[in-house]
Amino acid sequence: PSGPGDVAIPRAGLKKYVLPPDYSGITFPERPKLKFMDKVPAVPKVRREPRQLRDIRGPSREATDFTQGQYGILALGGGYLHWGHFEMIRLTIGRGMDPKTTFAIWRVPAPSKPVTRKSLGHRMGGGKGPIDRYVTAVKSGRLVVEVGGRCEFEEVKPFLAQVARKLPFPAVPVSRRGLQQMRREEEEKRLNNQNPWTFERVVAANMLGMRKYLSPRDLELKGRYWGKFFLKHRV
Amino acid sequence: PLSAGWLPALQFVRRGSKAVTRHWKAMHFQRQKLMAVTEYLAPRPAVPPRCLAPRKETLEEDDGYVRLLRRQVEEVFRDNRMIAICQYNSMPDEDVVLMRHYLRKHNIEVKFVLNEIVRPVLSQSKYKNLLPLFVARNILLVSPETKAKEMLRVLKGVPQINLLGACIDDTILSRQGVENFAKLPSLEASQGQTAGALALLPSQTSSLLQRGSAHLTALLDQHIRRLQAGETGSPAEPAPAQSLGAH
Repeated sequence: PSGPGDVAIPRAGLKKYVLPPDYSGITFPERPKLKFMDKVPAVPKVRREPRQLRDIRGPSREATDFTQGQYGILALGGGYLHWGHFEMIRLTIGRGMDPKTTFAIWRVPAPSKPVTRKSLGHRMGGGKGPIDRYVTAVKSGRLVVEVGGRCEFEEVKPFLAQVARKLPFPAVPVSRRGLQQMRREEEEKRLNNQNPWTFERVVAANMLGMRKYLSPRDLELKGRYWGKFFLKHRV
Repeated sequence: PLSAGWLPALQFVRRGSKAVTRHWKAMHFQRQKLMAVTEYLAPRPAVPPRCLAPRKETLEEDDGYVRLLRRQVEEVFRDNRMIAICQYNSMPDEDVVLMRHYLRKHNIEVKFVLNEIVRPVLSQSKYKNLLPLFVARNILLVSPETKAKEMLRVLKGVPQINLLGACIDDTILSRQGVENFAKLPSLEASQGQTAGALALLPSQTSSLLQRGSAHLTALLDQHIRRLQAGETGSPAEPAPAQSLGAH
């Protein structure tokens, strides 16, 4: 409402009573805090494994959606999580959340992939190094932890952001709605792209012999992934 | 038929780092060109959205409270005969209480209403012409009887409340109209007046019908008196008695 001279007159209207949030369909697990993850699996591996970096490359197929919780940390790049990271996550989240009203669950398995390292200062050769530590591989688009309970996103975001900053790959705290929104925006971007030339079109038709300079996996990766990095701004 | 050994059609690059590296691996120039060509182009509408009027996405959630208030307003308009709308400027609370008390004595209730509730109710009912009055802060004085004179007297003592208009017996009156209405005599007096005016003519019918014979009796009485006055000179009683008997 504007008065003479287009000056807005402040007036009190009807108060809109907002209902409190409804936490009816939430099931709590037995232990609200994050489980302790072992540094070494129960049966340590004897045979040293080749360094299959393809478990970092590309989009994730598992743990991409929420199960029990409402908020989580989404990985936006590939990387390895070792025991130090797991402890950091466990302690930071344990410090930040209230075990009476909220709970947290792991969405990544305990470290099981052995990673070798040669001792410092030696020349190349002399065989493969001994096992240094165990890691879990995380691909981009995977949820690392999930947090849920009788809480709002704004309460959970600070310590989730703190954790996300310390991870070896870029990560972001996200809620169910935020994830849906992200996916919807990606889809919209893909649909209303004004550029008639898209990476997947060029690769699929092998225009200008581009496949000579691209990997065979670029057919599925469609130019959004490069090594372990996820290129968010690409269509 | 293929020979025992054959060379693959594509020779992969054997030099350089692996596909997945910790650092950002340098792209082949052709690949860089391809990435540059296939970048995302945002759509540019002919008229930028900044120049268009903003879309007001008003989500009208039907509040139970709003529905209740609307129902109350509808009841008020249905049950009361006199509804007066006044402009309300901020008054001290004790003055508000005093005014309410005085009006209550004359069975007039004071109701505070919100424009955003009253306006939709009125626009859908038959009181559309009251809509321009419901702007800025206002109150409703409602009553099942039409005591305009007392109401005006109370409101005269309260300078912060100005009468804007009223709806009395489904007739919309302005401020002048309300004052004129107050000057009118009360309903009982006007009813008695109309009854008297209507009963005036029938009361005259009996005298009208008897007018002929009454005129005759008056004339005869006058004649008798004249004869009696003339009789002091000579007695002539039997003559008028004979004429009376003849008629």
